Amino acid sequence: MSLQLTDTLYAALALYTLGTLAAFVSLLMGEKRLQYTGLLLMIAGWVAQTVWIGTICARTGHPPITNLPEVVSFVAWVTFAVELALWIRYRVYAASFFVYPLVLLLLTISAVVGENLAPLDPELQSNVFTLHLLMSTVGVAFLLIGLAFGLLAFVQDRALKTKRPGRLWDWIPSLDVCKNLSFRSLAIGFSIYSIGLIAGVLWSYRTTAGLMEFRVKQIAAVTAWVLFAILLQSYVTNTYRRKRILVVSAFAFVAVLVAMMGIRL
Amino acid sequence: MALILVGVNHRTAPVEVRERLSVSESRLGETTRSLQSIVGVTGAAVLSTCNRVEAIVSSRDEDVIEPIVQLLAGRANTTRDELEKHLYILRHGDVVQHLFRVASGLDSMIVGEPQIGGQVRKTFTSAQELGTLDPLLTQLYENTMRVSKKVRTDTGIGEHAVSVPYAAVELARKIFGDLHGLHVLLLGAGDMGELTAEHLHQQHVKQVFVANRNHARAAELAHRFDGSAVQFDQVEAHLTRCDIVIASTAAPHFVIEADHVTRALDARRRRSLFLIDLSVPRNIDPAVANVDGAYLYNVDDLQQVADANLGLRRQKAVEAEEIVAREVEGFRRRLVAQDAVPTIVELQQRLEAIRSTELEKCLRKLGPMTTEQRQSIELFSSQLVNKILHYPILQLKDVTQTEPQERESLRKTIRKIFGLR
Repeated sequence: MSLQLTDTLYAALALYTLGTLAAFVSLLMGEKRLQYTGLLLMIAGWVAQTVWIGTICARTGHPPITNLPEVVSFVAWVTFAVELALWIRYRVYAASFFVYPLVLLLLTISAVVGENLAPLDPELQSNVFTLHLLMSTVGVAFLLIGLAFGLLAFVQDRALKTKRPGRLWDWIPSLDVCKNLSFRSLAIGFSIYSIGLIAGVLWSYRTTAGLMEFRVKQIAAVTAWVLFAILLQSYVTNTYRRKRILVVSAFAFVAVLVAMMGIRL
Repeated sequence: MALILVGVNHRTAPVEVRERLSVSESRLGETTRSLQSIVGVTGAAVLSTCNRVEAIVSSRDEDVIEPIVQLLAGRANTTRDELEKHLYILRHGDVVQHLFRVASGLDSMIVGEPQIGGQVRKTFTSAQELGTLDPLLTQLYENTMRVSKKVRTDTGIGEHAVSVPYAAVELARKIFGDLHGLHVLLLGAGDMGELTAEHLHQQHVKQVFVANRNHARAAELAHRFDGSAVQFDQVEAHLTRCDIVIASTAAPHFVIEADHVTRALDARRRRSLFLIDLSVPRNIDPAVANVDGAYLYNVDDLQQVADANLGLRRQKAVEAEEIVAREVEGFRRRLVAQDAVPTIVELQQRLEAIRSTELEKCLRKLGPMTTEQRQSIELFSSQLVNKILHYPILQLKDVTQTEPQERESLRKTIRKIFGLR
């Protein structure tokens, strides 16, 4: 019996599901060892997903970022890679409660939508277009991590202000660490995402002779860029603790998802 | 072999008794050797901390208890009867359980305190250097340290601060993470403030500034923390520079107002400011708590944190007790199995000797025979011996037998029946 291409995708999905469940049970039980089990499952899922992405690259001869399932899957893959790198450096347990479900959600979308592999449309066979997709997806992954740590910084700030530690208290690193990680991820993500947007505009100009066609995904992408700029500015001015910044974060998250999901819109 | 522990602790004896029994580091060797010299004692160690003094020995039997009590009474310069009121005497499994609990901080005045683990380790390493640890005590030592580590790692029982100054340090870590490079401002010279500054200083903060109405006193305190004294009217200027402010003055009014903090935070570009108000009446305006980026904790808040942590430690102690119970049972089973080994080996050797002798006699009588016939007779004799040994060995290895006296009696009976030395 030979392995189907989607087998590795479903294996990754199953492992991410188990990893996310283990992380949540560990939160409920306050059991750190279970958190390690969750992390190992997620790593195993990530390896399976790497095989899936590698197989697509090998079969189509281009990066797996040309249709919706590929893009969301790639964002999930980079997001978990960044989360893993941060976990190794800072041992931030609490981030997993936000990042694991996000990775799982993205890969679920990828699996549900599922499109057949197809050779790249000649119109899309351009270095500028590849740069646009690659930079946008990597940028989005960093921005999502930045949002997750921003949320942790907000939770930590509230806990310290109200003097009510809450369930996540022991799992979240210091306020300064959350803030710095969020700021750095947002700054890196914003820079990469900006390059991606510029490349997109250039490609659009080349193919349609216009800078923008005002399609939903384009409006969402620019809105996300503006909202992330506001978020970054809140870190520079140290106003990131304010509630309205949390609202901006929520809108930025939605905008970036729409930009990603609206790849065909 | 018997394990015996004789001692007093903070629950059984007042400080007057404990201080008379306590053994200073310089006299630890002498006391341990005195214990070791008691007839019947094969291994000895002495645990002496401010909350307990315990003599731990392994011996051939329990007859050593009386001489140990006499030795301790002599040391405490009291009568045996007087000392006995405060003593506890533990035997065998109870000693194991007690040591596992002590090293894990479960028997401490403040549950889960971390120092006791190091003190137990020191007790045994000193005894090891003196050469008073026999194999049984060595095993007990290794297992005690392993269980202590397991309890602390698995339950995190000692992780949370249970005193006001430590709670302040813990909160500072929650805000800033690493405390290196931070500046601390101590206002006033109240005891609690001093103690908190002391703890922060031990965490290697960059600099401690001290402000007091009495500048000489401020200079004296600053010297203690390798810091600098500042004039009291310069406090607001220092709010900009400092990350942690401890207020502990006798002033009957607010020394730091919300406006001061707002201005300081603006100048600090909104970098967090942790304010600890340990004074009663309070020295920091409670409105400071509403300023973005300022975290204000007064003495009640910190006490609440410490109390909550203590409650948490107590919850974790239940989990820790379960680990200790499992480990005690595991240790007991290993000891029972180990105890039985010499008798089992001797028994096997004895019966093998009988089998070989009788087999030779039998083969001589039977005369010439084929190899197969000879092998059959040899196999028969081996199987017969194994069958005979089966139940005695099973009984010797029976780990469900908990009473050491009963196990010893069984060993003696088996040795007698089979004519072992």
